[in-house]
Amino acid sequence: MSKTGADLPATDAALVHKITQRDEAALAALYDRYAGMLSSVLNRILRDTQAAEEILQDIFYQLWCGASRFDPARGSLPGWLLVIARNRAISRLRCHNPAAGEEIVENTVVMPFDLESSAAQQQLLARVKGALESLPKEQRAAVELAYFEGMTHSEIAERTGDPLGTVKTRLRSAIETLKRNLQSTMSQNT
Amino acid sequence: MTNGHPTREEDFDLYVLGALECDEKPAIESHLASCADCARKLASARGRVAAISFAAPRVEPSATVKDRLLRQVRAESQVPSRAASESAKVPGREFAPPGPPRGIAGRWFFAILAPACIALLIATIILWRENDRLTKQLADLGVSVDKTQKQLADAQMMIHLYTAKDTIKVALAPKPGMIKGDGEVMYNGKMGLLMYDGWIAPPPDDKSYQLWVVPMEGSPISAGVFNPATSDTAHWMSKVPEGIAPKMFAITLEPAGGMPQPTGPMVLVGGT
Repeated sequence: MSKTGADLPATDAALVHKITQRDEAALAALYDRYAGMLSSVLNRILRDTQAAEEILQDIFYQLWCGASRFDPARGSLPGWLLVIARNRAISRLRCHNPAAGEEIVENTVVMPFDLESSAAQQQLLARVKGALESLPKEQRAAVELAYFEGMTHSEIAERTGDPLGTVKTRLRSAIETLKRNLQSTMSQNT
Repeated sequence: MTNGHPTREEDFDLYVLGALECDEKPAIESHLASCADCARKLASARGRVAAISFAAPRVEPSATVKDRLLRQVRAESQVPSRAASESAKVPGREFAPPGPPRGIAGRWFFAILAPACIALLIATIILWRENDRLTKQLADLGVSVDKTQKQLADAQMMIHLYTAKDTIKVALAPKPGMIKGDGEVMYNGKMGLLMYDGWIAPPPDDKSYQLWVVPMEGSPISAGVFNPATSDTAHWMSKVPEGIAPKMFAITLEPAGGMPQPTGPMVLVGGT
């Protein structure tokens, strides 16, 4: 039996619109949709469940307070949530204090993946893992140090003991390969 | 850079990734502020780079986070409306321009009214400050209540786990030749709840410990990543899928942050 309009889950844009009308159920629905995804990256970066949960709660509270400033037509909500989560976690890790107020309007994120269902999230998870695992070990390590620990080229070189030039080449090659693989994912998704 | 544009598209990804050094960023940032085409490319790079997040092992947040969030949202929607209704009662907030004083009576009236207005203004400022102080105090109390409720919820779950008849207790012992330590796992499959308590030496810098539930059938399930860098004790509860029949529990040494499946050596292990 096909689903009727009422059966279909609300889109991110519809839920964000409801949040601007102070609809708590809409916030709860977006939380259910994306909290696991954000919790995973926060825990990976911080390795501290309590800190990760504080930031998770704060991100959704920020969404509640600033939903009217977020334009779903300009960018992807899960993409924006991931960017904010990573920025906050890296800042906490490095004891920085980001200017959170500007994040909603500043960070337009185009993410041409459908992540509104858990099946779509699982599918992207498998593809990203596959893409990362296909990288040579040193390239994968460089990507992980940059993304999950917020390290610059020179910090990665210091951590791994490799020459700076080698690290730069390694990271650029890894990014090129990941981009190629993810673009093929996008074309399969669309 | 050509005409200010980054020469290769990967430059956007490297910028978003944060891999560029401080002295490499200003040129890109000043160009991005004035180039719509590059700003679009940057937005796409943000999406691509954000997808790397999916390499992180899946960790579900505890149910208390959602409860706290919704309580926070409700408290926020109550405070401004209360503040608004309070401010409406404060005399002097309503703006009503006085008419011009007329003649001697008007001047006398003005002479009396002016000090009264000043007094009202001072009273308003005092009340406004007091209101602000109380609002802050209320917010602090809300945070404190949240923390206490979380601790209470954890304590209740712990009591349920301790008292349930079908909770199993498994001692974890070190594998010969591995890092010293020991621990105990309490697990209840019906509740999907697991508690670990133990001590273990800190792992090397680039490693973390990861606790696994190894079911009778199927792949091991991660029950938490930990890194006792500052203390050699570890104690926590975590939610795992309900209804798993465990064969054993194991702690492995994994790359920092944990892995989706065990890859490193077993450090502590215990069978059911």
